Amino acid sequence: MSNHFPGFGLGLRPEHYADFLDARQPVDWLELISENYMVPGGKPLAMLDAIRADYPVALHGVSLSIGSSDPLDRDYLDQLRQLHRRVEPLWVSDHLCWTGVGGRNSHDLLPLPYSEEALKLVVAHVRQVQDLLGERILLENVSSYLEFMDSVMPEWDFVRAVAEEADCLLLLDVNNIYVSSVNHGFDAQAYLRALPATRVRQIHLAGHHDHGDYIVDTHDHPVCDAVWALYADACCLFGEVATMIERDDHIPPLPELLAELDQARAIAARVAAERQAVA
Amino acid sequence: MNAPLVEVQRDLHDYLLDVGDAVLPRIRSGGRINVAQRLGIYHNAYRVRLADTLRDTYEKTWSYLGDTRFDACARAYIDAHPPRHRSLRDYGAQFPDWLDAQFPADRDIAELARMDWLLRQAFDGPDAAALGIESLAPLAAEQWETLILHPLPTLALLPLQFNTPAIWTALERGETPPVAQRLDDAAGLCIWRREWQPHFRTIEAQEFAALQALRQGMRFADVCQSLAAGCDDAQGRLAQYLHTWFADGLIAGVAV
Repeated sequence: MSNHFPGFGLGLRPEHYADFLDARQPVDWLELISENYMVPGGKPLAMLDAIRADYPVALHGVSLSIGSSDPLDRDYLDQLRQLHRRVEPLWVSDHLCWTGVGGRNSHDLLPLPYSEEALKLVVAHVRQVQDLLGERILLENVSSYLEFMDSVMPEWDFVRAVAEEADCLLLLDVNNIYVSSVNHGFDAQAYLRALPATRVRQIHLAGHHDHGDYIVDTHDHPVCDAVWALYADACCLFGEVATMIERDDHIPPLPELLAELDQARAIAARVAAERQAVA
Repeated sequence: MNAPLVEVQRDLHDYLLDVGDAVLPRIRSGGRINVAQRLGIYHNAYRVRLADTLRDTYEKTWSYLGDTRFDACARAYIDAHPPRHRSLRDYGAQFPDWLDAQFPADRDIAELARMDWLLRQAFDGPDAAALGIESLAPLAAEQWETLILHPLPTLALLPLQFNTPAIWTALERGETPPVAQRLDDAAGLCIWRREWQPHFRTIEAQEFAALQALRQGMRFADVCQSLAAGCDDAQGRLAQYLHTWFADGLIAGVAV
């Protein structure tokens, strides 16, 4: 496995620190929430160093706010750069969204209007971060519950345009695509097909809460069948991509997540075998 | 003609904070849910996330007040204090003061919240290795005159008016907390982190003053003097404090 495809991973959560310290777990890499380790000291940083010694780590942020009309936060960028130096991660990712404006912070991943102005702004911000870190970052598609009148292109065109114009990579959240496809009534497979395949570097799989008329991306359930099916489509389109299970609430014992990860491995292997047979 | 992005974002953020609904005509209608429902998901998620953060940080205050009362306080605080920091770690810093203003007749609530906050700050505060008392052994007699003891950076001092540590401990054990009682004598709480675990200890007023003086960088000899002005047997007390501080791992630096 290479840096391009480190294999199958999990989002590291404090509930599982002991599992990872006590024994080698069958994961190839771990994803850490950057902000959880942007603290002065104590247990989080000690755990980070101990676990990093045994596993490759990707850094995943929630506060970059790359799409805000506010300038990027210099203090945040400094902390990100320090963490980047400390961890030497596989890569750094954050979300294609904004979290606040005018110095206010919603601490939520808010959707953008898919406009030329937003595109230009995001591209400039991505370049600024990439220049600072000296490498390409990954941007993740967020799940959304509303669309703006000001959007002039579908989300997938916006994602592709950002990636190509800023020369960044993509973290594809398959669950988010599914959630948004139900909430907005678009074709999730068409979304996948529109993405620039060579830029998809990581995949998130997660669960959600289905309210019937709409779906909320809660990350507190196992991955559902429809998302597994969409993951198989993604494997078919993008080949080997680093894949992980993301659980943020109702965190189960580690073996349950490892079993879910095995399901991802099995799907990826089946699709790879089918691709080879066709070739 | 599109509105400037900054306006669209400001309008949505205003909607989340209940300070305007100019965003309504900017949202596409259609689909199985209407615009109000779509915005409602974000409006609700904003409050739930911040309330969860307050529950997490102020865990004992939450058990003390109970779900209904705590959630009502959290909602009102969230409306009064929209977050401006990048990190959720910093959210809720003014909650104890806010509780103080809300419950002037029940100041024990705010005091418990202050204890929750300081323990949380100690949890991931700056690292520093604690010294043992043997670090004082090489000092010559005259060096005691200029000695400065630097406490851990996580050391926090909270003046106590109530039996808050007993309330906190009962809640931690899942027991019914004792009734809040005003203390007869001035006392304080000393909070610090040892290894990865925040610790606390109730201290009398003299030790509180001595630790406060250390934290301000006062020379140990001057701490002795100011203690002597306020109590009998200052030397004996300080010798005892000194042993306790080193044994508890409170001292991170010795300078002469």
